[in-house]
Amino acid sequence: MDVTLEHYLVVSGVLFSLGLLGVIMRRNLLVIYMCLELMLNAANLALVAMSRYNGNLDGQIMVFFIITVAAAEVAVGLALIVALYRRRQTAHVEDLTSLKS
Amino acid sequence: MSYLQLLGLVAPETIVVITALVVLGLDLLILREQPLRHRFWMGAAFAAFGCVLAAAWLLFINSPTHPAGEVSGALPLLRGMFVDDGLVRLVKVALLGLTVFTIAISMESSFTGHVGEYLALILLATVGMMFLVSAEDILMIFISLELTSLSLYILTAFNKRNVKSAEAALKYFLFGGMSAAFTLFGLSLVYGLSGSTGLREIAAKLEQPALDPLLVAAIVMTVIGFGFKVAAVPFHLWAPDAYQGAPTPSAAFIASGSKVASFFVFAKVMMLGFAHAGGSGSWHAYAPGWLPVLAVVAVASMLLGNLAAIAQSNVKRLLAYSAIAHGGYALLGILANGPSGVTSLVYYVVTYGLTVLGAFGVVGLVEERAGEARISDFAGLGRREPLLAFCMMIFMLSLAGIPPLAGFFGKFYVFTAAVGGAKDLGLLWLVIFAIAMSAVSLYYYLQVLKQIYVVPVSAESGSLGAPISSRIVLAVIAFGVVALGCAPDFLVGRLLAAIKLAAL
Repeated sequence: MDVTLEHYLVVSGVLFSLGLLGVIMRRNLLVIYMCLELMLNAANLALVAMSRYNGNLDGQIMVFFIITVAAAEVAVGLALIVALYRRRQTAHVEDLTSLKS
Repeated sequence: MSYLQLLGLVAPETIVVITALVVLGLDLLILREQPLRHRFWMGAAFAAFGCVLAAAWLLFINSPTHPAGEVSGALPLLRGMFVDDGLVRLVKVALLGLTVFTIAISMESSFTGHVGEYLALILLATVGMMFLVSAEDILMIFISLELTSLSLYILTAFNKRNVKSAEAALKYFLFGGMSAAFTLFGLSLVYGLSGSTGLREIAAKLEQPALDPLLVAAIVMTVIGFGFKVAAVPFHLWAPDAYQGAPTPSAAFIASGSKVASFFVFAKVMMLGFAHAGGSGSWHAYAPGWLPVLAVVAVASMLLGNLAAIAQSNVKRLLAYSAIAHGGYALLGILANGPSGVTSLVYYVVTYGLTVLGAFGVVGLVEERAGEARISDFAGLGRREPLLAFCMMIFMLSLAGIPPLAGFFGKFYVFTAAVGGAKDLGLLWLVIFAIAMSAVSLYYYLQVLKQIYVVPVSAESGSLGAPISSRIVLAVIAFGVVALGCAPDFLVGRLLAAIKLAAL
């Protein structure tokens, strides 16, 4: 079987949807972070596949930048979790209810 | 093109980056032992000096007289990664101005001991916004968007003594991260369809009458991503929490500077990148594309923002919902889809940013004294603090759109642009709806003013004891709002002149 662009796009679409589902449904902040990463990596997969399909390297160059930015994003996110955990001893989203009108 | 020339092109950004690093170093090495107030003053003065220097460079040093001639020499090499024309420069100067005012209203605050880091992050966020405004390339847009967002997440969490601050930052981060993923996925599809990352090349490649289903997915995802960024309904959920929990100057910065940059780049992506996939949102001539999608988002934002703001008892949340509603009005500028739309959009978001910055300044002073920013904490402010109360009145009335304040002309320009933007007054339905909704908004702004001027002072609350510098800054911002309203041509004339050359 030939693996074509469509296959890659379907896989990346599925990964993106799984990530989105995880962000919406999971309750643990760390798992939510992983799902966010999954969404970004779905975009990475799509970019690499499209780059190959289009016959230029722009997409692959973008992927390198995205990986770097994602790492920075995780660093900030984990720092936020630590800041929250120090005050509240929790990493669950249902406990984040102190902001109300 | 040599690296030296490249550096000359990004000199204003370089100046701001160097200022950020110097402020950081200065605070860590020299000012460590000084009292907090002293450190904040020194750092803020230096940071503001850097911003003013960068703005002066943008205004006076080799400004591109004719961008088609000067910049097209640079464009093929950088392929739209960095665009430098009159319009971009004006927006950057406005951004730097908003940054200076943000720094000025945070000068007397005491929520953090990490002065150097705080100021450096504000400046780095500003650099991100400046690059964002310049970018006409997917990669550059994504990276500068992330630089801005990451700095803003940390700024939101900066009050480590307050548990609400961390919670607000987490919510902001989660929604922001999701928005980044959506933007990226949408843009990656666009890249796949066009084989290019530059917005202008993308538009040229996507020039076909029929809408590809993949392109529809790409457009929807991009709109979702930027919709999160500008807090448009139904992607607004982070905004009230982030505004309420963040330290007030950070919230002011999110509401002003980041709004200006996000809206500008949103308009650029839609109008340049998807130039041929607009469709039509007219009442009688509907056609699929991004215009009808944005029209729905704008209606939802105006409706929900205004109605939810009525029910708020916390002024920061009230301002957040009003920001959502104002995002809806500003979307009309993008919907106008043309030079007049961009002009009105930039005028609208810049004046809105200035106004909301001032409003947050007053809220911050009240909050410092009362511990919270409930509407009832403003009771009798007119007697206790006549000057601040007067400033707040100007800001609130400008947000509501009362002439002759800047907010009125902002709305006026956006609405006229939207009416003229579509064939046969097609967007008239949207404009009528927007006008009705701004009448609704008057109610909750007047609720705040009623507390300030009508409700009597309770016995124990005296003056706020606000420092003289904050008063001066707020008075200057209020003067700016009145002046931009009385002489809108000062900004609009420049924008129109710049936009003629910018070919947007």
